[in-house]
Amino acid sequence: MLEIILDLLANNAVLLQEHVSTDVAAFPPKAAAALGVGLAALGAGIAERGIGAAAVGAIAEDREFFGIGLVMTVLPETLVILALVVIFLV
Amino acid sequence: MSSSETGNYEYVSARVRSRRAYLYGDEEYRKFVRMGPGEISRYMEETTYAREVNEFGARYKGVDLIEYALNHNLASQFEDLLRWSEGELYEHISRYLKKFDSWNVKTILRGIYAKEDVERIRDDLIPAGEFKSDFLEQLIGTNDIEEFVNLLEGTMFGEALGKGLREYEDTGLLVSLENAIDRCYYQQLLKKIEVVEDPSVVLYTDFLRAEIDFKNVMNALRIAHSGSEIPIAEYYIHGGKQFTSAKLASSMKNLDEMINMIRESKYGEQLSRAIEKLEDTDSLISFEHELEAVLLEYCDRLSHVYPLSICPVIAFVLSKEKEIENVRAIARGKEAGLSPDEIEKQLVIS
Repeated sequence: MLEIILDLLANNAVLLQEHVSTDVAAFPPKAAAALGVGLAALGAGIAERGIGAAAVGAIAEDREFFGIGLVMTVLPETLVILALVVIFLV
Repeated sequence: MSSSETGNYEYVSARVRSRRAYLYGDEEYRKFVRMGPGEISRYMEETTYAREVNEFGARYKGVDLIEYALNHNLASQFEDLLRWSEGELYEHISRYLKKFDSWNVKTILRGIYAKEDVERIRDDLIPAGEFKSDFLEQLIGTNDIEEFVNLLEGTMFGEALGKGLREYEDTGLLVSLENAIDRCYYQQLLKKIEVVEDPSVVLYTDFLRAEIDFKNVMNALRIAHSGSEIPIAEYYIHGGKQFTSAKLASSMKNLDEMINMIRESKYGEQLSRAIEKLEDTDSLISFEHELEAVLLEYCDRLSHVYPLSICPVIAFVLSKEKEIENVRAIARGKEAGLSPDEIEKQLVIS
């Protein structure tokens, strides 16, 4: 999958050079922002994987951990919310 | 890096840490020392041992009830560890828990040797570890040691026990067979993890080596204490780093020399309190308890430095074992009519 992305970027770089005179960006700004949000969500997902596993473990031992476990698990989600701001900025 | 390959460290260490918090502390032990067996079992019923105490409550009472509840709780907790863990972590834990296989095999071996009652052997088994209870029953049912060794052929103890059997036939001493079992256990434990370069695994290996070192020192001290002439090489377990068989053998004739050797070794600093106690009281039991406490402390430290590793699990296994030993010591001490102070001396409290 990484190859495809790199390929895409390389091709777009060529495009970028071709269109230098006409002032058209390789990525439309909205598309770039969307990509940014997606990557942020991916990062949050990776972070939540470990936390979620630990939280479920703790809850299985003692149900009192449910609240704090839930908060800890969704904490990395703030990353996505911050990234979402970008959508409104472009 | 899917969790099935490397193991689900987050999940297991969260559960293990939570369980660790429910273990008995100093306060409970101090209460237990002043209670009778009936009160202790009633107290246990209100804590983690509820299921076991209820299950065995109708059949046994007093100290026997406590003993059964302890053994079965230990087994079920360690079974849980295996049930939760995956991948590499599972491998590590199951290798470490083979400790109980070696304990069970040794117990049955001694029972057969002493022609002990089948029922009494069964009481002393700890149903954790890999051997299923059917297989253990088969082992208990054997009539002599040769049959026993033959039955174990094909297990991890098979080959070494076969060799030990020949020696046993010459000398008539169980030592050779028991050593074969111990050595087997530590060899399988160290064999597969020597190649890994992950720092937590390297430190875990260090911990295992320290455990072996301590075991060797204890064996040497016991031999020296009993004044017998058995060469230490026969008891020596390979894999320790600090004390070679030759080193131990040369210092064994003299207790002071031995203490000096321990003090100059890598463990000198951590063991200083243990050594002082040994010099003051000349009591091997308190020295052994100190060694155990030092090991536990080391493992605890590792589990703080590397929370996502095997270390928290091993720390839990060790402290659970301590708890079982302590409660059993209190119950048995009460039964024998020891005073609270005397019982407290027998406990390992870290």
